[in-house]
Amino acid sequence: MSKEVPPKKPGVDADAIRELSALLNETGLTEIEIEHNGGRIRVSRAAVNAVAASAAPVAPAPAAAAQAASGPASGPVAGAVPSPMVGTVYLAAEPGKPAFISVGKAVKAGDTLFIVEAMKTMNPITAPHGGTVKEILVSDKDPVEFGQTLCVIG
Amino acid sequence: MFEKVLIANRGEIALRVIRACKEMGIATVAVHSTADSDAMHVRLADESVCVGPPPAGQSYLNMAAIIAACEITGAEAIHPGYGFLSENAKFADIVKEHGLTFIGPLPEHIRMMGDKITAKQTVKALGIPTVPGSDGEVSDADAARIAEEIGYPVLIKATAGGGGRGMKVAKDASELSFALSQARTEAKAAFGNDTVYMEKYLQKPRHIEIQILADSHGKVVHLGERDCSLQRRHQKVWEEAGSPALNATERDDIGGICTRALEKLGYLGAGTIEFLYEDGRFYFIEMNTRLQVEHPVSEAITGIDIVREQIRIASGAAMDFTQKDIVFEGHAIECRINAENPYTFRPSPGLITQFHSPGGLGVRFDSAIYAGYRIPPYYDSLAGKLIVHAKNRNECLLRLRRALDELVVDGIETTIPLFQGLVRDPDIINGDYSIHWLEKYLAGLGH
Repeated sequence: MSKEVPPKKPGVDADAIRELSALLNETGLTEIEIEHNGGRIRVSRAAVNAVAASAAPVAPAPAAAAQAASGPASGPVAGAVPSPMVGTVYLAAEPGKPAFISVGKAVKAGDTLFIVEAMKTMNPITAPHGGTVKEILVSDKDPVEFGQTLCVIG
Repeated sequence: MFEKVLIANRGEIALRVIRACKEMGIATVAVHSTADSDAMHVRLADESVCVGPPPAGQSYLNMAAIIAACEITGAEAIHPGYGFLSENAKFADIVKEHGLTFIGPLPEHIRMMGDKITAKQTVKALGIPTVPGSDGEVSDADAARIAEEIGYPVLIKATAGGGGRGMKVAKDASELSFALSQARTEAKAAFGNDTVYMEKYLQKPRHIEIQILADSHGKVVHLGERDCSLQRRHQKVWEEAGSPALNATERDDIGGICTRALEKLGYLGAGTIEFLYEDGRFYFIEMNTRLQVEHPVSEAITGIDIVREQIRIASGAAMDFTQKDIVFEGHAIECRINAENPYTFRPSPGLITQFHSPGGLGVRFDSAIYAGYRIPPYYDSLAGKLIVHAKNRNECLLRLRRALDELVVDGIETTIPLFQGLVRDPDIINGDYSIHWLEKYLAGLGH
């Protein structure tokens, strides 16, 4: 007597899917894919929070970048006076003389605020706008770089 | 030996110099424009100084700012890298006047080789073979006669030019006066100097250059040749050490001619003598008095750290090897990966979203990029150099193919696909190419 072989049912293999789903829950995996009966089944849990790959730089963060504070990380402060050059900053015209400015002093546009020395030349740094000196961010004889905030005039 | 060196450059070459300094226990100072505050060379250096706004003229070419940066950090020497101020004789003079050491050749030799006419006259007198030519400036009145003597086709070249700019071909007498006036006009606009000279135009030459190192104790050595024939608009894209066209005897011969010439000159530091090579003969075109972009392929086949030697030589040390000690092992190829469309070459600055550097035996990737880095639009488009070394040229090509397929730079367009095509091309595989080959190949791609 020949055994009747039931025809292959096209479409969904519900049993396999149920089994995979149970496996998914049991193991806590988010996705399982198998080849089954000549076809492929993938069962996947919808991610609630997509995890973005963090774009970490290839090299490790360096040790100190040794300059004096080069200004706030979150964009320029209103009234910040940046250094237009690289050099050594002096607060007074000569050693022993009083400093050009102090906190609270009123200044006009064009007033000398500091001197920056480079290559044996003294360069006066003048106020780009008038106002009151709110903050002085450098000390006498500090090295300064281009763009570094020297003071804040509000 | 120096305690602290300032690197007057950016990008991959600044990293290269910083790495050599670190290995020698030398403290490093990076300079940067405001556009490069997050650059890798700034992150890896021990100290950094912002020297100006983005434009190179106000930052990386700003001599006063760079000298001032040495003053405030106490750096004793400056390595200029390549490009920027590396072949600026006036800068080398200024560095010296301020009691600092310029890590490079003497200013007088930078000057001499910067003028293409005096360079040619100088090396000719030192025994280096040159292209038959006008032997000096050519006037419009003499041009036709000289061209007849040399034999057409001829090339009109700007004396203040270089890097392949300011050159015009005259295929026969009828094209001569037009080529002359065009060359003069272009030269005036590009270099501020319309002085031109004339040379025989070689039809299918290869570009072969010799790497030289010379110390202050009279020793000069060569590190073999590099074949840089694959160029687009006179910009090198792919370089090999050694040349597929030379054998060991020819290498020793031309290497010896170069070292003897530079001994007589009293040259100091690293330098490269560039030749056109056709039918077994060498013809001098120019000398570069600096480190070159493609130096890593010479490092690969000799095992010599060229930047380290530059620094040692500048500090007065003698090279601790002779020509006999230099052994050429295997074959190396470098691909310059640019942030450009691989077919139109339109620049593609912007954010790099993913980056994976290939690795493994004999694979080196010199680059300052990282995932999350934004390539600024103000400077050259070199994203990185892929250098591959293997026991022979065939293995090298296979390794290069593998490394190119592994390299990932996403978020911008790069010329990686161009190299993936080149490494599979039969002419390239056979080493059968001249300086015109790449332009023909690109035209044939039909983009």
